[in-house]
Amino acid sequence: MTRLLELESVSKVYGELRALDGISLAVPRGEWLSVVGPSGSGKTTLMNIVGAMDRASSGSVLLDGVELSDLGAKELAQIRRNTVGLIFQKFHLIGHLTAVENVMVAQYYHSMPDEAEAMAALGRVGLEQRAGHLPSQLSGGEQQRVCIARALINYPALILADEPTGNLDAANEEIVLDIFRSLHADGATLIVVTHDPAVAAEGQREIALEHGRMVREVFHDHG
Amino acid sequence: MKTVAEDFDAGAPERPAGPGPGRRVPGLAGAAAKAARRTMFWRMVARSVTRRRSRVLIAVLAVGIGATTLFALASIAADIPRQMTREMRAYGANLLVMPEDGTSKVSAAALGPVAEALGSAEVIGSVPYRYETLRLNEQPYLSAGADLVQVRQVSPYWYVEGDWPAAPGEVLIGQDIAEWIGLGPGDEIELVAAVENPAASPSAADSGDPGAAASGDDDLANGDDGVADSGDASAAASDDDGADEVLAEEATGLFRVAGVLSTGGSEDELILMSLDDIEQLTGLAGRYDVVEYSVAADSGRIEALAEQITAEVEGVSAAPVKRLTESDTYVLSMLRSLLALITVIVLALTMIGVSTTMMAVVAERQGEIALRKALGADNRAVEREFLSESLALGGLGGVIGTALGYALAQVISLNVFHRPVAMTWWLALVAVGLSTLVAWAAALALVRRAAEVDPAIVLRGE
Ligand SMILES: Nc1ncnc2c1ncn2[C@@H]1O[C@H](COP(=O)(O)OP(=O)(O)OP(=O)(O)O)[C@@H](O)[C@H]1O
Ligand SMILES: [Mg+2]
Repeated sequence: MTRLLELESVSKVYGELRALDGISLAVPRGEWLSVVGPSGSGKTTLMNIVGAMDRASSGSVLLDGVELSDLGAKELAQIRRNTVGLIFQKFHLIGHLTAVENVMVAQYYHSMPDEAEAMAALGRVGLEQRAGHLPSQLSGGEQQRVCIARALINYPALILADEPTGNLDAANEEIVLDIFRSLHADGATLIVVTHDPAVAAEGQREIALEHGRMVREVFHDHG
Repeated sequence: MKTVAEDFDAGAPERPAGPGPGRRVPGLAGAAAKAARRTMFWRMVARSVTRRRSRVLIAVLAVGIGATTLFALASIAADIPRQMTREMRAYGANLLVMPEDGTSKVSAAALGPVAEALGSAEVIGSVPYRYETLRLNEQPYLSAGADLVQVRQVSPYWYVEGDWPAAPGEVLIGQDIAEWIGLGPGDEIELVAAVENPAASPSAADSGDPGAAASGDDDLANGDDGVADSGDASAAASDDDGADEVLAEEATGLFRVAGVLSTGGSEDELILMSLDDIEQLTGLAGRYDVVEYSVAADSGRIEALAEQITAEVEGVSAAPVKRLTESDTYVLSMLRSLLALITVIVLALTMIGVSTTMMAVVAERQGEIALRKALGADNRAVEREFLSESLALGGLGGVIGTALGYALAQVISLNVFHRPVAMTWWLALVAVGLSTLVAWAAALALVRRAAEVDPAIVLRGE
């Protein structure tokens, strides 16, 4: 299996605090990786660095063959729009744009907006009936599905989800996991941060962070 | 729940199996892609403007208030020269020749001696005026006859709606009269004059028959033949054998209103026609109420000339008229400079107001900006979007503000100058352009800074 992502002793330092402390990690293409750990252990910091939104203080980050620590702001933005799909705990939809328009924003920055394609993406998360609604008119679960449709619209090589089910009830959590399973089955690479052991167990591999260090690695066998 | 996943699979036949190299878009650099991006760009701008109404309202208000003040002030400043009518009234004339006592007239014969008295002083022009009270709709109105070409020359700031009279039988009516009666350019009016008959007058007084004047002569009073009637009237009066009872006739003339005159002064209640017309209507020529002279001399010399004429020429008295002095012009240009200064201050205040508003707007959308960056927007893309939005808001505020500013200028002008202010279109364009520019400039630094936001804050949430 080729490696999509390779971290080599990556550290992130905030003053005295070592939010990440010498993380080395390789993620093969098509893997579903779960990241767990107590609050403040550095999970989000790791996602930001992997997702080209932040730079490591030291170490090397190789994403899809590109060394991120060498890149400037503009090139990082390019990596973000071409390689990474983001799913947030708090959805982060743009309030004055409808569901379909929110999906089209990602198309717009990536290449070209295509409303039909965006509608199809909403259809895939079961929201074609809600395409014209504003985020404020959608439930939390529906907003998360719009967020997922937006993350997937450009077929990113890497999908990053930070607590994607943190704000959802059990039923919506199951819907989201279902989508992830189908993505995984199609060969997508997923890194999912979660506090929920059940969600973590969905991944093929689970790593645990503590004080910025990897303290545990578990492989789940899904038959 | 299964269905969602199945939907997802079923609906994605084009999704590359396995680790995707990213979305494949044919003809990425093509014109269609560009057009689609442009459409989406404006769609986002439009949504932001139309769906965030209360915020937009505040921003538009900030710009609009500035534009209102700006355009109102600038309109009035630009219009001041026209508004100076009252002061400029006597611009051309600096010497008036009037009858010695209040009741009689200046005869044409007296003008020769006046010219003689003026002698070496350079007379640029003279305009004799004849005043009569004419009846229009049974109401008496002061009417003046004069050489209208000259009147127009010495009163370049008079405002005439319609045209200046060009043909005999055409008149200007004062704005107030026009309003009272409801007249406008092109309307026909009937003016009635009392026709004096110097020969008959004494006997008329003797006869003491008050009914005679009132009964008049119906045939003669009809105005069908227009101005020419007056001639007939006096002729008929003198031809009449029973002259004793025809004491004073009435002559009616049919006139056309060429234009409505508004000066903000007493002319607003005046009917103005050519000297020929008024002489023909009243049947009396060569007698004037006032003759205005424009003399090339300083005020001291004019005063001396006035005294000399009063003393030397029989039956007339002369008085100097103060021209709009240089200090008056200075005051007016000062007033304009002051307005210009206030305009600049208002611009600066608007800038501050708009900046503050934009600061709030941008701060509120910091999260959105970070999200857009996380989705892959670079700083320039974010700047372009938010600056375009500022331009749209500025333009909107500018248009609304300029319209309100025109209304405000109108109210001020009507109250202060008693006449409407003209719409200065180039000024309106400048006002809208400036508002847009101010909004853009106010947003520029803010948006630049806001675009520097770290996309990492999106994942951290708040
Ligand atoms: N911009 C920053 N400046 C200073 N310290 C920071 C910054 N961002 C994160 N930290 C610190 O880095 C550490 C790791 O933060 P991080 O957000 O990665 O934790 P986390 O594992 O995602 O926690 P949670 O489960 O609560 O989301 C924390 O102690 C946090 O306070
Ligand atoms: Mg976190």
